[in-house]
Amino acid sequence: MTIIKISDLVYTYPGGSKPSIDGVSLKIEKGEFVLITGPSGCGKTSLCRTFNGLVPHFYQGELKGQVIVAGQDITSKQTSDMAKHVGLVFQNPENQLFALSVEKDVAFGLENLGMSREEMRKRVDWALNLTGIYDLRERSPHEVSGGQQQRVAIASVLAMQPEIIVLDEPTSFLDPLSAERIFEVIYKLNQEQNITVVLVEHRLDLTAKYTNHLVVMNKGKICLEGNPRDILYSEETSRIGVGIPKATLLYKKLKTAGFEVNKQTPLSSDELADQLMETLSK
Amino acid sequence: MSVFDGLKFRKVFSPIHNLDPRIKFIYVIAIFISAILFSQILPLAILFLMQLPFVFLARVQKQWVRSLRGAAFLAGFIFIVNILTTYFYNDFNLTALNVESALAMTMRFVVLVESFSVFFLTTSPDYLGLALEQSRVPYEFAFAFTTAVRFVPVLAEEAQTIMDAQKARGLELEKGSLLKRIRNYIPILIPLIVSAIRRSLELAEAMESRAWGATKKRTNLYLLKLHKGDYILLGITALILIVTIYVRFFLPEAIPLISSFF
Repeated sequence: MTIIKISDLVYTYPGGSKPSIDGVSLKIEKGEFVLITGPSGCGKTSLCRTFNGLVPHFYQGELKGQVIVAGQDITSKQTSDMAKHVGLVFQNPENQLFALSVEKDVAFGLENLGMSREEMRKRVDWALNLTGIYDLRERSPHEVSGGQQQRVAIASVLAMQPEIIVLDEPTSFLDPLSAERIFEVIYKLNQEQNITVVLVEHRLDLTAKYTNHLVVMNKGKICLEGNPRDILYSEETSRIGVGIPKATLLYKKLKTAGFEVNKQTPLSSDELADQLMETLSK
Repeated sequence: MSVFDGLKFRKVFSPIHNLDPRIKFIYVIAIFISAILFSQILPLAILFLMQLPFVFLARVQKQWVRSLRGAAFLAGFIFIVNILTTYFYNDFNLTALNVESALAMTMRFVVLVESFSVFFLTTSPDYLGLALEQSRVPYEFAFAFTTAVRFVPVLAEEAQTIMDAQKARGLELEKGSLLKRIRNYIPILIPLIVSAIRRSLELAEAMESRAWGATKKRTNLYLLKLHKGDYILLGITALILIVTIYVRFFLPEAIPLISSFF
């Protein structure tokens, strides 16, 4: 079942001379883990913001083409209506938490929807437990670490039980270890709750292994889309300036030098290590 | 961060902190009214002493003393002005009664400062925000209040970063005349304001994405409920008001003056 369908999307910010999104068509199936990557300014952030209608409602500007998310045409729906279907997690964890306690922040969206207190309590506890921050619920968001703040942000969209969670470079403010934990949380939500995940990331080293639908954007267009093993191995990807995983790079070098390690391009160092050990022990 | 440490809010748990802020506010207003109604030193001193159990139960003695010390200058000023006016008014005569009434005026001021400081020292901002939300204040205002409190430490940290960055480029903050020193802060204020605006846009986006304004009838995760302590405080408040009004209007002669004992 297609949950996001974008056809011939062209979007220009108000006052922009050329479109930020320039003729994008994309289909995302329910339950997928989609990874979008590309150099800065390639339009991936703008694309994310169309999923819940922030583009064009919040940003104004000119939008052509069609975006259908969870059966709704975003141009005819308010962002607050789309919030039930799409949860958006932003880059800076600090600027998306407003309450004076973690728990209250997670409840924010539910309060806005006018949910009853009992139902709200249940959902808040559920979201806190899933993201592993139940013990922090009474702390102030300012007191907890960046990684924990980002988990609060994820819990707060999760509490609204959306079908889709979109994360726009959620780990760019975090250290590698916290980043890895965030990705694990996201992957768990995708696997166990069957939530469709759209992740925008530069750190492919840590994330390529989770996806089988990679989208590479450049200059407002989708230039490559499909299986990450093929895309990350291709010459075109390295020309665009995408952060190809180290394991994939090493594999490519070995292969060019004539060492046939394996048929399958590895996406993480674990995979590569397994392949190497297998080859070496032969 | 030392300059901004006072702006941070911490959660404290004590019987006083757990009281409903609405009831506490009514209590403060009652003390306020009593202090205005009495102009003799004895009842004002009693009002002053009545706050002490609050301060000790809430364990905020240190901060409380600090706030009193802050008020000391103004209190001294009130005392001196009172003494001087009566002195000149009475043809350069000063009686014990004059001194006592000047002291009473000073004491009245101290009681007012004290009661408000006890309220703010023992009420955490999230509780206050909740009380605002649940006393029919439009939610936008309550939200603006809690968000402001939430972002004070964030902006303070940012101001510090900008200050360090500008100092690293050779900006000298502490040099020159007063006017020069004020001007020195412009390169700090402008980036701070710009980043605050950018931050507010990101906040607005996050709010929109979490269904801000989806329904007119917003609900709340917490419900403020009155507990035993709140009823006790309400009782104390009523008692203070009754006694004040009775003594002030029906037994005005019964309040002894300290100077009459000498």
